[in-house]
Amino acid sequence: MTATPSDLLQGTLDLLILKVLDLEPMHGMGIARRISQVTNDTFAVKAGSLFPALHRLEEAGWLTSSWGESETNRRARFYRLTRTGRKHLQTESQRWERISLAMASALRAT
Amino acid sequence: MIRYLRTLWRNLLHRDRVDEELDEEIRGYLELTAMEQMQRGLSPEDALHRAHRDLGQIDQVKERVRDIRVGVTLDTLAQDLRYALRTLARSPAFSLVVVLTIALGIAANTAIFTIVDGVLLKPLPYVYPDRLVMLWEGSLTDGTLGTVAPANFFDWRQQGHSFDAMAAVDPHQDAILTGSGEPRRLVGAAVTAEFFPVLGVRMALGRTFLPEEDRPGHNQVVVLSHAVWLNQFGGRPDILGRVLTLNDLPFTVVGVLPRDFSLVSRASDFEARRRFDLWTPLALGSPPPEWQRGTHSLTVLARLKSTVSLAQAQMDLEGVAANLRRLYPADDANRGITAVPMAQHVVVDVRTALITLLAAVGLVLAIACANIANLLLTRAATRRKEIALRVALGASRRRIARQLITESAVLTITGGTLGLLLTWLSLPVLLNYLPADLPRTSEIAVDSRVLFFTSALSLLTGLVFGLVPLFYSRGISATDALKQGSRSVAGGRSRLRGALLVGQVAVALMLLVGAGLMMKSLWRLWGVSPGFHVDHILTAQLSLPPQYANGYSFGTGKHPRIAVFQRELGERVRAIPGVRAASFAAYLPLGGNDNSWAFDIEGRPQRPPGVFDVANYRPVTAGYFETMGIPLRRGRAIDSGDGEDRPLIVVINEAMAREFWGHQDPVGQRLRFGDKTWRTIVGVVGNVHHRGLGISPAAEMYVPYAQVPNVEVHPTLVVRTSTDPETVVRALQRAVADVDPTVPVDQIQTMNELVADSIAQSRFRTTVLLMFAGVALLVAAMGLYGAMSYSVSQRTQEFGVRMAVGASRSAVVRLVLGQAARLVAVGVCLGLAGSVLLSRLIASLLYGVAPFDIGTLAGVSVLLVVVALLASYVPAHRAARADPMNALRWE
Repeated sequence: MTATPSDLLQGTLDLLILKVLDLEPMHGMGIARRISQVTNDTFAVKAGSLFPALHRLEEAGWLTSSWGESETNRRARFYRLTRTGRKHLQTESQRWERISLAMASALRAT
Repeated sequence: MIRYLRTLWRNLLHRDRVDEELDEEIRGYLELTAMEQMQRGLSPEDALHRAHRDLGQIDQVKERVRDIRVGVTLDTLAQDLRYALRTLARSPAFSLVVVLTIALGIAANTAIFTIVDGVLLKPLPYVYPDRLVMLWEGSLTDGTLGTVAPANFFDWRQQGHSFDAMAAVDPHQDAILTGSGEPRRLVGAAVTAEFFPVLGVRMALGRTFLPEEDRPGHNQVVVLSHAVWLNQFGGRPDILGRVLTLNDLPFTVVGVLPRDFSLVSRASDFEARRRFDLWTPLALGSPPPEWQRGTHSLTVLARLKSTVSLAQAQMDLEGVAANLRRLYPADDANRGITAVPMAQHVVVDVRTALITLLAAVGLVLAIACANIANLLLTRAATRRKEIALRVALGASRRRIARQLITESAVLTITGGTLGLLLTWLSLPVLLNYLPADLPRTSEIAVDSRVLFFTSALSLLTGLVFGLVPLFYSRGISATDALKQGSRSVAGGRSRLRGALLVGQVAVALMLLVGAGLMMKSLWRLWGVSPGFHVDHILTAQLSLPPQYANGYSFGTGKHPRIAVFQRELGERVRAIPGVRAASFAAYLPLGGNDNSWAFDIEGRPQRPPGVFDVANYRPVTAGYFETMGIPLRRGRAIDSGDGEDRPLIVVINEAMAREFWGHQDPVGQRLRFGDKTWRTIVGVVGNVHHRGLGISPAAEMYVPYAQVPNVEVHPTLVVRTSTDPETVVRALQRAVADVDPTVPVDQIQTMNELVADSIAQSRFRTTVLLMFAGVALLVAAMGLYGAMSYSVSQRTQEFGVRMAVGASRSAVVRLVLGQAARLVAVGVCLGLAGSVLLSRLIASLLYGVAPFDIGTLAGVSVLLVVVALLASYVPAHRAARADPMNALRWE
């Protein structure tokens, strides 16, 4: 197996997916594209991490999925946030902000 | 939770659809990516290629998604199971041996442990079982324990301060029930009012005895056993208050005992197989007459006060005993009182035997576990290559461990299930063969703890040793393992396997020695001449109604009615075709009943107070010695002339002659019992094993039935036939009915049956031990066969080389057998050493054979070696058949 991202990074991907889906339901490709856009290409999400993450979030009950038409008129699986997913996004964003603030100030302090 | 279950449901049941959807989703992603690339100007091929690269391997992505899915664990389990079953089916011999080993181990252990648990370990089925004690009169000279005189019991109950309550049982109060169908003899006991409360019995119906019913003249009430209530009275609830005719007297039913009640007792305390049908109050006088200090008829039970220990109670009783010794030196000068916990007392005869069986079955389990371990170790060695390959292909260690555990679990669970099935099937059979005089057999039931223990042990063995291949694979790189192939085996593990084999052989030998010794003593026991004829003898228990005792007074020897009855019946029975002789005896050899009397010899100094000369006492009618085939050594036998109005005589046996007269001739000497009339010894007869074939004959004195000093209303009819004794049974019953239809006849048995019953305990433990030894031998042989087969398969190439350079086939066979022989030799030596250590345990169970019996030791060693070499011969032969060219090409 290739080196897996650390837990922090895995958490990051989950959080990014939830954030992106907060706006509108999207299919896998769309999610990957949007994540690169919003992070200014910092994260290039590979399918090998994206799909496991999507299914993991779905099993956790934060996403639901259904088949729909993509912009090119193909059948595609669209993911949307559930109510618990939205709640989870909120708590996770707050936690993330706290951590990044703390990290930033800690790094500046030295 | 519900959502989780729904997802699980979907993932498991619609796995194909879930997979298809995943496939479609990923394909869609791929196409979208490719399209995007094409929009950026790439050629379609390049775009698709890029997209593929971006996606990584599709299968890998799918695999990773699947791993995340709920239910993936179950899915893998099913996969592991399928794989395990396939693997095991590929080596059916191995799987079968492991499964059978586990099944046998579990079944044998559960069965024996269940019996031991029921008989030895479970608390007695009464209230406060640990506070129940039995009190005995203990002889101060030789420490033997005896039953208690009513007058002594009365004083103990009054003077002892350590007990909540003290109760007495007279277990010989049978009664003839008339007026409800056929006359029937019911087995009865008389008890004091404290008896049922001491045991804490809750009646099924009615009540127990009131204190005022436990007095002479008020005691015509009766408590029935559940079985008699059901069988004799149809289980009718209106039984309470009904008046039954027992021994021609009216008794009112006051209660019915619960179904599961029984008086747990040691076989030798009461007649074997005694299941009491009815209970009446003992009704001792208050105080009892003083002559009741010389008759010792009671069994005494007591419950300790919760604040008093056994030692304190014993101290208290010492005080009571000292007081009685002072007050009644004539009877009690030599007596103490001994308290024995009831739970301990009832199993005192069978404890050693059961512990031995338990130890034996433990050894069987040890062998079984060693065998499982050995087989799995051997298999582990052969699977090194397979596991190395799987590691090389990327299987994680955890995944392989899971696979191995699944495999072991399949084996052990199958074996365990089979074992439980075997237990469930075999226990009723085994219980059927339990000796009738084993106490508490009614309480035997498969206990969940027992099952759990044995199952857990074999499961654990399977799991632990099932994981061994994993340790093999540690520390060697996959390529190493693959290069080496499966030929080389780490020396350490091979030594462990050797040790396990040696251990199995040693333990099997120990069991074989035990079984051999038991067999030999059983054989010796069978060989003991009982002192009388065994073949063509039929016995029947008669019970004379109480009016037959009318006209009798103690010591006079006048029983007109009984004598007439015996004479009439004797004539009728002797007239039956096929009957050669018939006579009566009060106490039949090996029949479980006995009686002994104290006596004085004329012209000898008076014995000191409390010391008595005692011999067993046998009322018989004329012709008894001829009927039984007991040889006359001196003087004359009892004949029909020895009637109630003739001079009183007695015939003694050789043991009594030797004990009391040495080399003198006792014929013509006189002795007397408690009465003051002298009896002349007219003859000496041969000894008889009355109490058991393994018990030395004791002093016996035969008295003509018409001259016995007390009343004996339960004579046994003994008939010698010229044909099969069973053929005269009906005629015999008719003859009794012709003389008196109110006399019940029961326990019609041949002497052969009585002899067989008397050694049932010994036969039972020998059979069980023999079975265990057989299982042990089989398991050890299977283990040896497995190990040798493996070793041979590993050395095929070596044998090939040997034969290529000129070794003969027989040399190869010798080589393999030699290897086996070395292991077996070490095992046999260890086993012999172990048997010597263990022999002390079973010494008390043996009869006529020393625990260190060279013949047995040598015999079973030879047997074991032969079986072991046979087990190794097959693989050795296979090794010799190896084609040298094939073996060499194999590399």
